[in-house]
Amino acid sequence: MTSASVATRPAKPRANWGARALIVLAVVVTIVGGIAIQFDLRPLLFDGGRGWFIVSEFLDPNWAFLLRTIDPWLVTFSIAVLATAAGSVIALVVSMFASMVTARNRVVYQVTKAVMSVLRSLPDIAWGLLFVAFVGVGPLAGILALIFFNVGIVAKLTAETIDAVELGPLEAADAAGASGLQRAFAAVVPQILPNYLSYVMYTFELNVRASVVIGIVGGGGIGSTIIVELARFNYDNLSAIIILLFVIVFLIDIASRWIRKRLIG
Amino acid sequence: MSATATKLNPLPMARPVAPSKAKYLWAEFGGLVLIVLCVYAVNAKWERLLEAPAAIANYIPLMLSGVLQNPFEQPITEYWTTSFDFMMQSLAMAWVGTVIGAMLSLPVGFLAATNVAPAPVVFVARQILNGIRAVPDVILAIVIMVPIFGLGPLAGTLAIGIGSIGTLGKLTSEAIEGIDKGPVEALRASGAGPVQVLRWGVWPQVAPEIVAFWLYRFEVNIRASAILGVVGAGGIGSLLSRVFNMRDWERIGIALVVIIVVTIIVDQISGAIRHRIISGSSKTSTPVAM
Repeated sequence: MTSASVATRPAKPRANWGARALIVLAVVVTIVGGIAIQFDLRPLLFDGGRGWFIVSEFLDPNWAFLLRTIDPWLVTFSIAVLATAAGSVIALVVSMFASMVTARNRVVYQVTKAVMSVLRSLPDIAWGLLFVAFVGVGPLAGILALIFFNVGIVAKLTAETIDAVELGPLEAADAAGASGLQRAFAAVVPQILPNYLSYVMYTFELNVRASVVIGIVGGGGIGSTIIVELARFNYDNLSAIIILLFVIVFLIDIASRWIRKRLIG
Repeated sequence: MSATATKLNPLPMARPVAPSKAKYLWAEFGGLVLIVLCVYAVNAKWERLLEAPAAIANYIPLMLSGVLQNPFEQPITEYWTTSFDFMMQSLAMAWVGTVIGAMLSLPVGFLAATNVAPAPVVFVARQILNGIRAVPDVILAIVIMVPIFGLGPLAGTLAIGIGSIGTLGKLTSEAIEGIDKGPVEALRASGAGPVQVLRWGVWPQVAPEIVAFWLYRFEVNIRASAILGVVGAGGIGSLLSRVFNMRDWERIGIALVVIIVVTIIVDQISGAIRHRIISGSSKTSTPVAM
C-alpha cells in the first residue's frame, strides 16, 4: 500500500575475490620477506648493553663541535644548489623530448622516456659511488652524481606537466611559423613555468638531504664529516650534526615555500 | 598592426601595459649571485671535470664487459646470482619496511587529520611526521637502527619502516581531510559510534588512495633499500660498496644492471596495480568490499 515510500534495501556489494586474493598475496609476501630478513624485535627489549649506550650518547649532543662543521655544511649546501641549477636546466631541455606535445618524433620520445626511467631507477648513493670512482673523492663527484639523479626526476615531472598544456598557443606558434625551439620557449615554457619552478624547489629540498647521504660515500660536505665521526665512535658530535640537519631541512622547507609563493602567487 | 586594429574597432584601444618583469629579473639576479657564491664555497677540483669524459669512456666498457660476457660461464654466473640474491634481499627489506611504515602511519595519519582529531592532537601528530620526514633513511639507519639491531637487513628494514611514516602519515591525513562529509553525517544520524564512523564512513572513502600511496612508497623504498647496505644495513648496497671498493668493474656493471632491471620491473607492476586501484575496474562499477 505504502510501497511508494518503502525503499527496497540495496543489494549487498558482491565480494571482490580479486582484491581478497591480492590481500592474501600481500600477507604471504610479507611473511616470506620477514623470514628472509630475519625479522626480530627482541634486541629492542633485551639488548641492554651497547645499543642503548649509543642512544644515550645521542641524547647528550656536543654542541661545541658544530663550530668546526661550518665549512662542510657550506660545501653540502653549495653542492645542493649547483646540482639543482645544472640538473633542472638540463631537465627542462630533456623534458621537451619526453612529452608527445613537444616531441615530434616518436622514436626520440620513446628513447628519452626509456633513458629517464633508467636514470630514475638508480638511487642517489649509486650515482655517488659511480662518480667517486670516475672523478675521485670530493664535492665534484657529489655535484655530478646529484645532477644525474635530478635530471630523471625533474624531467619526468615536467614532461607530465607539458602533456597537459593548453594546445592553443602551440598552434598559434606553429601558424606564425615558429621553429621547434621558438615554439618551446614562446608557447610551452610560460605555461609550465610555475609548476616547473615548484619541481625545482622540491628537488632542491631533496638534494640537501641527498648531498648529505652522497657525502657518506665520498661526495664531500657534511656526509664526509658524519662518516669520520662515526668511525671514531663520537656519537655526541654526530648527534649535534643530525639535530642541526633537522633544523636546516626545516628552515629550507619554510624558505622554499615562501619563494614558491612569491614566484607563483 | 595597431593601425588596422583601430580601423576594425571603432573604439581606439591602447595596447595593454606589459606585465612587470622586475620580479623575475630580481629572482634571476639572486639566483646567479647564489650560484657564483656556491661555486666559490664548494671549492671543487673543477679541473677533474675535463678528465671525467675520458674516465667515463674508460670505465663504461669495463662495466659492460662483465654484462656482455657469457653468463653461463663461471665466475660470471656466480656474479649474476649473487647480485640477484642481494637484490631480492633489498626487495624484501623494501616490502617489509613499507608494511611496517603503512601500519604505523595509519593511526598517526588519522590523528593528524583536522576533521577527525582535536586540534592539539593534530598539532603534535604533525610535528612528529615533520620530524621523521626531515631525516634521511640512511641517517636513521646509522644513528639508531644499526647500533640497536646490529649490522644486517633488519636494521635497514626498520630504518625504512620508520622513515616511511613521515610521508605516508602526511598523505594519509591529507586524503582523510578531503573526504565527502555525507556518509559520516549519515552514520552519525543513524547512531554510529566514533569507531564505527571511522570504519564505515571514512575508511571506505580513503582506502583506495591510501593503498596507492603505500605502493608508491614501496617503489621509493626499493631505491632506499638498495643503498642502505653502504652503511652496513643489508641488501644490494653492501655488495655494491664492496665491489666499488675493489674497483671490480665487471661486477659493478652486473650489480647496476640487476638493480636497474629489477627496479623498473617492480615499478611497472606496482604502477599498474596503483592505476587499477585508483581508477577502478573497467568492467564493473560495483563497490569493492575491502
